[in-house]
Amino acid sequence: MATLLNNDIARAIYLVSKDKTHTELHDVNKKVMEFLARRRLLSKTPDILERLDKIINYESEKIVVKVSSARKLKEELKKELIFFLKKRYKVKEVVLTETLDEKLLGGMRLEINDEIIDLTVKNKIKKLQEHLIRKI
Amino acid sequence: MSTNYIVENLKKDIDNFSSQIKAEKVGHVLEVFDGIAKISGLSDIKSSEMVTFPNGEMGVALNLEEDTVGVIIFDDFSKIKEGDEVKATGKILEVPVSDNIIGRVVNALGVEIDGKGVIKADKTYPIEKVAPGVITRLSVDKPVATGIKVIDAIIPIGRGQRELIIGDRQTGKTAIAVDTILNQKGQNMICVYVSIGQKDSKLRKIQTRLEKGGAMAYTIIVSAGSSEPAPLSYIAPYTGVSIAEYFMDQGKDVLIIYDDLSKHAVAYREISLLLRRPPGREAFPGDVFYLHSRLLERACRRNQEYGGGSITALPIVETQAGDVTAYIPTNVISITDGQIFLETDLFYKGIRPAVNVGLSVSRVGSKAQIKAMKKVAGTLKLDLAQYRELEAFAQFGSDLDNATKQQLERGKRAVEVLKQPQYAPMAVERQVAILYALTKGYLDDVPVDKIKEFEEGLINYTENKTKKFYKEITETNMWTDTGEAELKKAIEDFKTSFVK
Repeated sequence: MATLLNNDIARAIYLVSKDKTHTELHDVNKKVMEFLARRRLLSKTPDILERLDKIINYESEKIVVKVSSARKLKEELKKELIFFLKKRYKVKEVVLTETLDEKLLGGMRLEINDEIIDLTVKNKIKKLQEHLIRKI
Repeated sequence: MSTNYIVENLKKDIDNFSSQIKAEKVGHVLEVFDGIAKISGLSDIKSSEMVTFPNGEMGVALNLEEDTVGVIIFDDFSKIKEGDEVKATGKILEVPVSDNIIGRVVNALGVEIDGKGVIKADKTYPIEKVAPGVITRLSVDKPVATGIKVIDAIIPIGRGQRELIIGDRQTGKTAIAVDTILNQKGQNMICVYVSIGQKDSKLRKIQTRLEKGGAMAYTIIVSAGSSEPAPLSYIAPYTGVSIAEYFMDQGKDVLIIYDDLSKHAVAYREISLLLRRPPGREAFPGDVFYLHSRLLERACRRNQEYGGGSITALPIVETQAGDVTAYIPTNVISITDGQIFLETDLFYKGIRPAVNVGLSVSRVGSKAQIKAMKKVAGTLKLDLAQYRELEAFAQFGSDLDNATKQQLERGKRAVEVLKQPQYAPMAVERQVAILYALTKGYLDDVPVDKIKEFEEGLINYTENKTKKFYKEITETNMWTDTGEAELKKAIEDFKTSFVK
């Protein structure tokens, strides 16, 4: 029997539960759980769920952006940021999850999946340090 | 230097600094072990792309899997932790190259390790490059003078050739390579010595020897020591050939020595097994042939349209108990244009260099010899082969006819003439003189144990007395009738005085 990849399972779950009503979804969930238990895949559920999350985000053209900054962001800035991110990643929805970190000194750092846009003062100082101590 | 000067300089430096904002692809370390890291994320990474770890360690992505990337780490991996952020650089592994690198010892990443200061380099070359194509190449027809009689006469090496030096441990493989480098003085050749998995003490000895012989003026040493991580041993030969290509691109002739490729294969096997690639014969991965073929294919002779220049490669392979049928030796034998086979038995019999003339070949052959050498050494290989055969027969009985006896005597003398001490490379015109004396039968009545003494005397004598002959060979690669007559007379004269 061919090995089932977590990604394939997640995609299958997405496809069977897509466009389903609430009651239908309940039924689907039950069947999925039965399937996972039968195939002894319950230990892999966290990974499968993570992948499912990514697939849902991708299909619904949504991105989750982790924003780290030294100070709380103003609403205006957030709107501007969402506008910029929607344009850059060509998505319909942007979800911002904010974290505060004083060590960043200023500016902000955006994490979108495995891409990072670092606009913090801390990063700039680090780059300046690298520039000054570079080998001539 | 005043403090003001330093402050002003710093200010200027800070003013010049501009940082570009760019999106970076990152991943996170899932596991680290034995110089290997498994990393999640890093989508869009290329094969052989460089990555950097938080403390500045460098790595290269080798395994691109569905969710993870297998990375080999070039530095100390003990500080890398699970969850560390890894950045992709977007660049394929490169080494800095410049003319300043000549005479230096660098590591597999092109960084100096001889303590003589930073090497200023304005260019970088990728370590992996596709070998030059057919259109750009020229056939090999210019010799590399190794200064070793047995090689220059019987197994000649041409510029752009790949000649394998193969043999058991302690048979003089490195000695041949070092002698060849020493003999390149004034031959318009840049040498690159790549040391893979060798003891640092051995490398130091070679470096001292090259310095003493004035060879470091045109030599670069690339070293990946046995105490360094396997990934460095794996990339060292590619670094070496990239440096060689930098000089070839300037139209220069380069000689590169890989000492040795069996340790290179072992390092690659280690990496492959840690990356969980399936093992094949002798636990080497399936692509171990390609590992060496893509490296040695980069040795070539370019035609003038493409800038000229050449890379001659002398890979070294160590065999175990003379077994040339093991995996790596057979692979490299089939890739190269010939091999110099060294034998333990010959070495302990006192025949040094311990070259087995029967098993050694050069597929480029006499095209890579000067005309004069071709003339004197033409029948030498056959003579020696016949001698070896007769020698075996002669042990059964003493009733031999005169012709056989004569052939045996000639053979004994040929073996004696081809012996040569280490670090004593001989100029090609001198080689021609002594081989002329041998093949024309002038040595037949000199006692075998006196041959070395005779050779030394003859070279000194003829060099003074037959200046015309020597000049002809250096200038036109062949003697004229008058030059030959001069040499003949000088040999006869010397012989009379020697016998007395």
